[in-house]
Amino acid sequence: MVLLMAWLLVLAGLGWMVSQRLKVSTDLRSFMPAPTTPDQRLLMEQVGDGPGSRLLLLAISGQSDVQLAALSKGLVGALRRDPRYTQVLNGSFDLAALDPSLLPYRYLLSPTLDTQPLDKSYLADQLQQRLDDLSSPAASLLKGLLPRDPTLEMLKLAERWTPKKSPEVREGVWFSTQHEALLLVQTSAAGFDPDAQQRAIDGIQHAFHALPGSAGAKLEFSGPGYFSVVVGAQTRHQADWIGRISSVGFIVLMLLAYRSLSSLLLSALPIASAALAGIAALTVAFPEVHGITLAFGFTLLGVAQEYPIRVLSHRRAGEDAVQSVRALWPLLLTAIASACIAYLAFYASGVNGLKQLAVFTIVGLLVAGFSTRYLLSHLLPVQVRDVAQMPWLENARAFVDRLPRPRWIPVVVALLIVLMLAVAPGPFWQNDLAALTPLPRDMLLHDARLREALGAPDVRYLLVLQVPTEQGVLALSEKLQPKVDALVAQHAVDALELPSLYLPSIATQRARQQQLPDRSTLQRELTQAMQGLPFRPDLFQPFLDDVETARSLTPLTPERYAQTPLGQRLAAMLVQRDGHWLGLGTVSGVHDAAALHALGKDSEGSVRLLDLKAASESLVAAYRTRILQALLAASLLLVLAITLALRSLRRAWHVLAPMTLATFLVLAVERIVGIEISLFHLVALILAGGLGLHYALFFERDTGDVAEQRRTLHATIVCVLSALLVFGMLGWATIPVLRAIGLTVSLGVAFHFCLSILMAPHAIGRLSDPGAEDSHARED
Amino acid sequence: MQVLDRPLVVSGELAWLGGDQLQRRVDQPNQETATIANGEVTQQRAGKPPRHFSLKRAPQLQVLLDSFVALLSGDAGRLQQAFEIRYTGVASGPWVLVLTPRDAAVAKSVASITIDGDGKQSRCMRMQEADGDLAIDLLGPLAAKMPAQPTREALQALCQGAR
Repeated sequence: MVLLMAWLLVLAGLGWMVSQRLKVSTDLRSFMPAPTTPDQRLLMEQVGDGPGSRLLLLAISGQSDVQLAALSKGLVGALRRDPRYTQVLNGSFDLAALDPSLLPYRYLLSPTLDTQPLDKSYLADQLQQRLDDLSSPAASLLKGLLPRDPTLEMLKLAERWTPKKSPEVREGVWFSTQHEALLLVQTSAAGFDPDAQQRAIDGIQHAFHALPGSAGAKLEFSGPGYFSVVVGAQTRHQADWIGRISSVGFIVLMLLAYRSLSSLLLSALPIASAALAGIAALTVAFPEVHGITLAFGFTLLGVAQEYPIRVLSHRRAGEDAVQSVRALWPLLLTAIASACIAYLAFYASGVNGLKQLAVFTIVGLLVAGFSTRYLLSHLLPVQVRDVAQMPWLENARAFVDRLPRPRWIPVVVALLIVLMLAVAPGPFWQNDLAALTPLPRDMLLHDARLREALGAPDVRYLLVLQVPTEQGVLALSEKLQPKVDALVAQHAVDALELPSLYLPSIATQRARQQQLPDRSTLQRELTQAMQGLPFRPDLFQPFLDDVETARSLTPLTPERYAQTPLGQRLAAMLVQRDGHWLGLGTVSGVHDAAALHALGKDSEGSVRLLDLKAASESLVAAYRTRILQALLAASLLLVLAITLALRSLRRAWHVLAPMTLATFLVLAVERIVGIEISLFHLVALILAGGLGLHYALFFERDTGDVAEQRRTLHATIVCVLSALLVFGMLGWATIPVLRAIGLTVSLGVAFHFCLSILMAPHAIGRLSDPGAEDSHARED
Repeated sequence: MQVLDRPLVVSGELAWLGGDQLQRRVDQPNQETATIANGEVTQQRAGKPPRHFSLKRAPQLQVLLDSFVALLSGDAGRLQQAFEIRYTGVASGPWVLVLTPRDAAVAKSVASITIDGDGKQSRCMRMQEADGDLAIDLLGPLAAKMPAQPTREALQALCQGAR
């Protein structure tokens, strides 16, 4: 009792420590291997921080256009001051987007002066046009601007900055053809940080529902950040309900197998200790723990569930648990040690996520094993039923013993594997991580429709400009603009936004400043231009003032600009890294990727089109290579460890051959039905391999004692059934990640079980004679 | 207009295309066509790409559209809906119709519209903008009587019945 209390206290202490220290990182990137190519490195940044991935697409529907427009405007008003969002657009052009103190900068930002001095002929033409405007329906739009901005530079800039392919504007805001008011929101948070995205989405929901008249309207989201939230929630939801069902099933199975509630409760303690100790070790060794490490780690800890089961099945009537464990311990220790040695290879892989996985599982398995041996065994009730006396088990063991065990089985299975792998359809590896967490089809269609309507940038392509200085990026971007315009004109791409669209280089701004006439010259030109026109002579004083101010302005830099909403947009397009600057051009509607790639020709690497999909696939492939290398090293270590432990190559063969064949058989069967192998399949194969190692080890062990052989069969059957229950349920999940793990482990457990029986040496049938155990009476 | 020191004179044709569509064609001094359809205004000038903007952003046009379509189609209900109406005069002789926009947003830029007529003929339409500017449309036969150097007073007198 004291021991139990102490154990529970230690667990509570560990739990408290974990709750205090555990910091789970949901960022997918930190689980990935260190990127090696420049594209992969950029991908790592862009996956989370790129302008495209931080974009949320919003649609409001369900009311009249007028009400929807009011809601759209209300939402923009509510979100514009919120630091969670860097840009909120709904199509209504708002002069406030340009800071009033920056208004004189329009002459430095607009390209007009590049081709056109502010001389009398240009001014006269412009003024004549304004006169036409005044007599036209547009009059009320322009009347207010006229004195300050007769050449309408502000409107030219506004036109430049609105997406080229923008949706229809009704009631002053964007509308889709399906009566939805559309908005674009760029979040400050990274796109693949589901928690931060959830907060951003909650903020929008909250602001929306606080608006008067929002009750009858429907607000819909789309975009990468929203998807990461939905996928995370869906996966958790399915894993939860499947977990609940299989937990109930597992409890029922254990009660049926051992008929003892206290045994069941106590045998949960080693697993709980393993999990807590594993996490505690992670919090000590690493500043942040990856969510994926925990998910994979808990999966792999499934092996530890076998330790208490083995002990429970091998109990004999009247014998206390400590004695039962003692007999089993050498074998259990072999299993634990070989698994730990194998996971050491993961630690050596150098990938942060895999290192964490290794620390978690090694600590977990050791704790589970040793707590089973030294703690659990002292707590289990003394009075138990010896499973060896159950009639069904006797029959089952007799059946197993009668099974033929031909020597040709390994050869046939191996040939079968080779054959199936050879004719399997489709590519072997699944490189697309997104394929494992696919989105519902209607959600993708909705996204495509909104993206098309809003002309929102593609998440797949980016044009990357790489130059040593920030100004260099802007200058290169300016140089590239005519080529990009040509591509848009050829319909190779719908739109390509370069950083210089928002801010020209200092050199260009200076050149434009040089073009601005001094006050007296401008006054003279203007007076001549106004001749014969009915404008009031003193009307354009504000214009003269602004031009005069613009002449002596310090050119705008990205830092200064960053304080305005548009500057935020620019900041997302300019990134400093490793002593050079990157300019990121966002691309929408790619029709001819080759033509875009050609932009980088002759640029000596300073301009290139980044295909984020290709880069992410190469990254996944690199990651898999690391895992496979770790696996290979792990296998070699495993062979060595088992051979040393059993002190016989032949015995090691009986343990390792069924395990190896079963693993490849799972691979072959999955391939023949058309499954492409992903990282998750590999992790599941490792877990199944760990379980298979146990089956083979215990079947290979031959004590010559028929009762003990029955107990081994009982333990193995309980282990197989519980694994099939838990992972078979996962196999029914609709989310591919869960299905991949569930299916692979279930298949693996079944194959390992069958092969380790069929390839085990025939047991010596000797009548049970307690006390007269002969551990050497083993024959092939 | 306040920004100008003398009135701006244009001439052309205003056509109702049925439904909520109106076309305003200017011939003098420069060619320009503005079409209102489906709540959007399309403005075309010789040698320039067309410009589009929402009708909401040009309240004068909204008023023009409402009053014209209602008058031309004889839809009194619609007129009632958009405006407060004051009518003085006789059906066979001279009459004056004063329309005040009901919509507050529209009223911010258009204070009122006054239409002068005689019997079945509308003579003249005056749009008083909220900022003090006044737009006077001489309609039908009166259009030919536009003086070379118009003043606000002369035009108003013309509208009100110098026959």
